[in-house]
Amino acid sequence: MDISTLLSGSNAYDFIRGPLVWISFIVFFLGLIFQVFRFISMTEKIDHSVYNPRPRTKLPKLSLNAETISRFLTKTKLSIVGVNPVMVIVTTLFHICLVVAPLFLLAHNILLKDAIGVSLFSFSDCFADYLTLILMACGLYFLLRRFFVARVRAITTRYDYVMLFLATAPFITGYLAYHQLLPDYYRLVISLHILSGELMLMAVPFTKFVHMVFFFVFRFSIESEYSLGKGNRTW
Amino acid sequence: MFKKNTAGVDTARVKERLEEHKTKMKLSLKACAHCTLCAESCFLYMARDKDPKYTPSYKFINSIGLLYKTKGNVDKVTLGEIRDNVWERCALCTRCYCPLGIDIPEMIALARSICREQGVYPQYDRE
Repeated sequence: MDISTLLSGSNAYDFIRGPLVWISFIVFFLGLIFQVFRFISMTEKIDHSVYNPRPRTKLPKLSLNAETISRFLTKTKLSIVGVNPVMVIVTTLFHICLVVAPLFLLAHNILLKDAIGVSLFSFSDCFADYLTLILMACGLYFLLRRFFVARVRAITTRYDYVMLFLATAPFITGYLAYHQLLPDYYRLVISLHILSGELMLMAVPFTKFVHMVFFFVFRFSIESEYSLGKGNRTW
Repeated sequence: MFKKNTAGVDTARVKERLEEHKTKMKLSLKACAHCTLCAESCFLYMARDKDPKYTPSYKFINSIGLLYKTKGNVDKVTLGEIRDNVWERCALCTRCYCPLGIDIPEMIALARSICREQGVYPQYDRE
């Protein structure tokens, strides 16, 4: 029996769109909670009364004048945005689409309403389509970067390609299924769409996708010169 | 497969050191997205004509990452390669910037410390 027959068979299809959905949600959420608790156990709160090398001062009143604008432009030019503007824009778009498109897709919200009786706000299908196309274009950019940029190629392994494929596969298959671009294989494509989405969710806490939690927890809570938030914890 | 010649390396001690820092180091290695956005923050990378071997992520993947990958079963030659990455290609100036918040200097420092314990470090008077 080949893989396409197996995946489009009714038993496999029912399993993929039934129990496996809930299993993947449970693994995703419990895995994230586990990682956050593990992070808390690895760090401790800073007691600023003992040592405070960077006392927090009140932010100066925001004023728009030549000096503040020039200072802002210099800071931006020296930051990662100024050094790698294309990559920063592409990666920001990619991650926004990755989260927003599936969460506010009309078809997903209809399924959610059927399953638990509540749903989120939904985008129009046309807008969701644009988000998917943007994500696929960003994914292609990452792939080309892995092929052609020497420093990226130097640390790229097969694992990176697999993870990039895993991150984009739900969107590629979703696009193919929605537009019925492979009408003879619709059942197979929609099965692959659901399965790849589930695999991606389950992979988040245990693979390099863990940077989803890592970014927020580390940049916002660990105190360093690069902290984005209050930064009141240390290793 | 050929067995690695670990003569002259106290692999038990290397494993012990790796075990002490396992949770943070493995999580940091796992979280690295291999984006290389850290590259330009390294002055040596910029000064060496943007040689990929000077990218901070290349340096920690091929030092502490390699030690974890091999579970500490390393030979002197591998430790020598790690030495090149953590001393010759890194000044440990701690200016490397990771957009995800990975503590790169600490990873390099741990690799240095393990190498030093095994007697592998730059000996400027002899080289």
